[in-house]
Amino acid sequence: MKGRAILRSGLPGALSLVLAAYVLAPFVWVALSSIQPEKELFRVPPRWIPRQLTLDNYRFVFTGQFPAGYEETGIARGRISEKARDALPALRNSTVVATSVALTNLILGTLAAYTFSRLRFRGAGLMYSFILASRLLPPMAVAIPYYLIINRLGLLDRYAALILIHTVFTLPFTVWFLTLYFRRVPPDLEEAALVDGCTRFQALMQIVVPVATPALAAAAAFSFMFSYNDFPFALFVTSTIRSQTIPVIVANTAINPDVSFGVVSVTVALTMLPPVAFAMAFRRYVTRGLIAVTTTR
Amino acid sequence: MRDPSSRRPRYGEARYAYGTVLPVVLIVALFTIYPFFYALLTSFREVVLYKPFSQPFVGLKNYLDVVRSEFFAASWRHTLTFVAGAVPLTTVLGFGIAHLLNARTRLAPLLNVTILLPWAIPTVISGIIWAWIFNSSYGAFNGLLYSLGLIDSYVPWLSRPRSALACVLFAHIWKEVPLTSILYLAALQAIPEELYDAARVDGAGTLAAVSRITVPLVLPTTLIIVVYETMVGIVTFDLLYVMTGGGPAGATSLISYYLYNSMFVAFNFGQGAALAVLLALVLVAFIMLYLRLLRSEEIYAT
Amino acid sequence: MGTRRIALVAVLVTLAVAASAAFGAAPIQLTFTVWSYSTDVILDNIKKFEAANPGIKVTLQDFAWEKYVDVMTARFVGKTPTDLAYSSDHWLQQWAAANWIVPLEDYFPQVKAYKADFAPYAIEGMTYKGKLYGLPYYADTIIFIYNEDMLKRAGFTAPPATWDDVTRMARVMKEKKIVEYPIMFQFQDITPWYIEVFLSMVYSYKNYRMFDDNLNPIYDREGSAAHKVAQWLVDGMRTHKIINPASLETTEIPLVKAMGAGQVAFAVLPKYNLADLNTPGAHAQAGKFKFALMPGETHGTVGFVRFYSMTKMAADRGPAVREAAWKFLEYFGGKTGGEFVVVKRWALEKGLGFAQLPLYKDPQIRAAINKWGNVTLEEQQAKLARAKEALTPFWGSWSLEFQKEMNKALLGQKSALDALKASAAKWREMKR
Repeated sequence: MKGRAILRSGLPGALSLVLAAYVLAPFVWVALSSIQPEKELFRVPPRWIPRQLTLDNYRFVFTGQFPAGYEETGIARGRISEKARDALPALRNSTVVATSVALTNLILGTLAAYTFSRLRFRGAGLMYSFILASRLLPPMAVAIPYYLIINRLGLLDRYAALILIHTVFTLPFTVWFLTLYFRRVPPDLEEAALVDGCTRFQALMQIVVPVATPALAAAAAFSFMFSYNDFPFALFVTSTIRSQTIPVIVANTAINPDVSFGVVSVTVALTMLPPVAFAMAFRRYVTRGLIAVTTTR
Repeated sequence: MRDPSSRRPRYGEARYAYGTVLPVVLIVALFTIYPFFYALLTSFREVVLYKPFSQPFVGLKNYLDVVRSEFFAASWRHTLTFVAGAVPLTTVLGFGIAHLLNARTRLAPLLNVTILLPWAIPTVISGIIWAWIFNSSYGAFNGLLYSLGLIDSYVPWLSRPRSALACVLFAHIWKEVPLTSILYLAALQAIPEELYDAARVDGAGTLAAVSRITVPLVLPTTLIIVVYETMVGIVTFDLLYVMTGGGPAGATSLISYYLYNSMFVAFNFGQGAALAVLLALVLVAFIMLYLRLLRSEEIYAT
Repeated sequence: MGTRRIALVAVLVTLAVAASAAFGAAPIQLTFTVWSYSTDVILDNIKKFEAANPGIKVTLQDFAWEKYVDVMTARFVGKTPTDLAYSSDHWLQQWAAANWIVPLEDYFPQVKAYKADFAPYAIEGMTYKGKLYGLPYYADTIIFIYNEDMLKRAGFTAPPATWDDVTRMARVMKEKKIVEYPIMFQFQDITPWYIEVFLSMVYSYKNYRMFDDNLNPIYDREGSAAHKVAQWLVDGMRTHKIINPASLETTEIPLVKAMGAGQVAFAVLPKYNLADLNTPGAHAQAGKFKFALMPGETHGTVGFVRFYSMTKMAADRGPAVREAAWKFLEYFGGKTGGEFVVVKRWALEKGLGFAQLPLYKDPQIRAAINKWGNVTLEEQQAKLARAKEALTPFWGSWSLEFQKEMNKALLGQKSALDALKASAAKWREMKR
């Protein structure tokens, strides 16, 4: 019985600390690395509390000014991953693309899911299954065909290419998820509105959407995250900073022989900002939306 | 307007239905039908990019070549080992962590936000970070063990077949567990508190309450997680590519890496396509399983 | 008023048309693909090229080095407009056989004159079926780098000259606890440098050949140079414990970082890394790194070349585009005003090697290289370098098999000879 008391009070707290450490440790490591000179990052064992703090790496990414020690090589220029300087425009690209994907999912997904959940029409089951089954081809196998399609549409290196591909990947989930959700919204209110002369569209917008906000937020969050996370397809269909997204730029920065881990850390730290802001804004809704979908009727 | 008779007739409803569903179907179709037939047709031909002038029909040869290669057997073995580790761990840890997120500790609000971080960063970037942390020459993981006096000298974790797979699994779980935790958290929060109160009145302990109330009630969520994580595990690529490159000595080369290798190293699109079709069939098998389980969920739910 | 206005408009339109005919000849657009290394320098070079060649506009598209082949494959398969592209000796056969890039000689016979200036290994690395496919972006050798300070602390005054020397010195360093594992390699399963490093060690022997004249593997015979190298590696890792076991997870960057931090005394690396290792801002041990001729019987090594190639797509766009492409190729890989302007810039600013041998006579180059390296030694090593043998279209697939099998030997899962036999069997299978 004493054990259970400890279980109630102390244990969850202690485990929470362990969990927080597990989740955060890599981020803390990256953040610490971003504010130290390159040489300090390869000590054995590492300095857990940095001695030399510097903003040089950030200054380099934002202004292009080389960190100390990089220009004294006797060579005319520093050898450091200039690619990192594309991190800011890439963040913009990523955010624009991911937000557009989330919005496209909301608009198309809501309309289709509501129809699937409420209306009976010829081919409904077939189309629903088709949408879900489309995710069966392994991503690696569709890379080249996807490239060929985007190429044919003349969309290479444009936001539209990424938005389209990410939408194709996320819509099946959104449709499935929202259909499940809408099925659990009691149809009585809409029926009354329909009898009162509302169109289906009006019923959806005025009655169903307001009560479905959590599910919509969850769907938006999922599609945002997918889009923001995508590396393989972004790699194939983008070719300049006009549309290259942040995973492409970070990977680019990290594998050059002249890479500075301090500078890579800056780009990784920056990468975390938009999704964290997004996650914090939507977190409550996401959980509520998931509750509604995952619970039994 | 308020006249009930103004409600649209059925054919209008059908038009609305198609109007809302078809955009999704068309967008998906654009990126499904062509790739599907591309893969299927390519898989029956000898398509090797550096032999551009001859792409003869070879029937099932590509399939036989793929299935017979030792790489195929080995990569399936690694993939299944990986999935067998990843699925139970993401599920069980997610279940446990969801309880922590749901607990009324002081840390819970903070945890609820931080748990999302691994989910939020791109896989390829988390691979870069973890490869750095596990690095044998200057990695923080070795540094930590060394500082704590647990090891005398740095251990090459990613250079030993078993520990390399364990490290990749560790990073994979770190990335996947936030999602499973949130899914479980949602399921937990939907369970009425009264059920636990009733159990407590009946004298049931915490463990009994968990096993008799929580576990059965979150079963639908568990099914979703198990199937989803299985599929993610089977097609996982970025993390391995960045952390180990499939090594050492092929110990972490999974099936998706074999596919990548056929297409972009050997330039053998025919074999790559055959492998893709096989992989899709395996996924179909999982979907069938999924549907069967869902059906049992519905039985359970009613 | 109305008619006058119309007349005015008519005059303006006529003027505009005439003006556009005179000045507005649409510029020739060239698309140039590279892997992302120092893109700011590339862009600056392009700007200068465009200034010198009005009427030509170059669009740069860059992709991560490790993913470059994937992306280029998609571009070539999808026929995405691409005129000029970085390529490499080990992709040449695939790209040329697939008809993606064209022999420069067929279009620009004047390119042959450059051959006199290029190192033989570079010419060989850019030649397919007897024809030259490129002009070098950079060319370099795989070299033996050592930490001079560690060597001195171990009591040695000269770097090792044979592989036995390497073993002996490394064992002394290990005994004196100067460093736990004096030698480190980049032997991760799929790193493209693995095979180049292995071959450079093989090429340091007299009987270096891996394949016979009919491209049949002979390296899996007992006592071959490859067998000696493989056995030396296995002994170093498993018996003497002088080779860092972490080599199996290591790629170029982590190796350079570990070496710069003072954890490695000996390494075999592409030469440009020496310039980076001696950069004070990047490495704690900067300034202590030197290089020696590759240890072994002949001190031979691998010379590799990355080059500018012209695509089939560009060749098919007509004579005007081809002419522009040639101007580009010559500006970047050849001479402008009698000087290798761009190649020289890479060498001066980034320490990249070159195949354009006359540059070794340039005092500016000599001074720059001597700041982080040794120009005399470099020239000597370049002359001992040879191109990789048997670069068939399946060479890339084979090299991955080779590396995986070799790692099995390094892990003790099979003998060195068995590992070589296994990959040689794969070669024979692929050759069929």
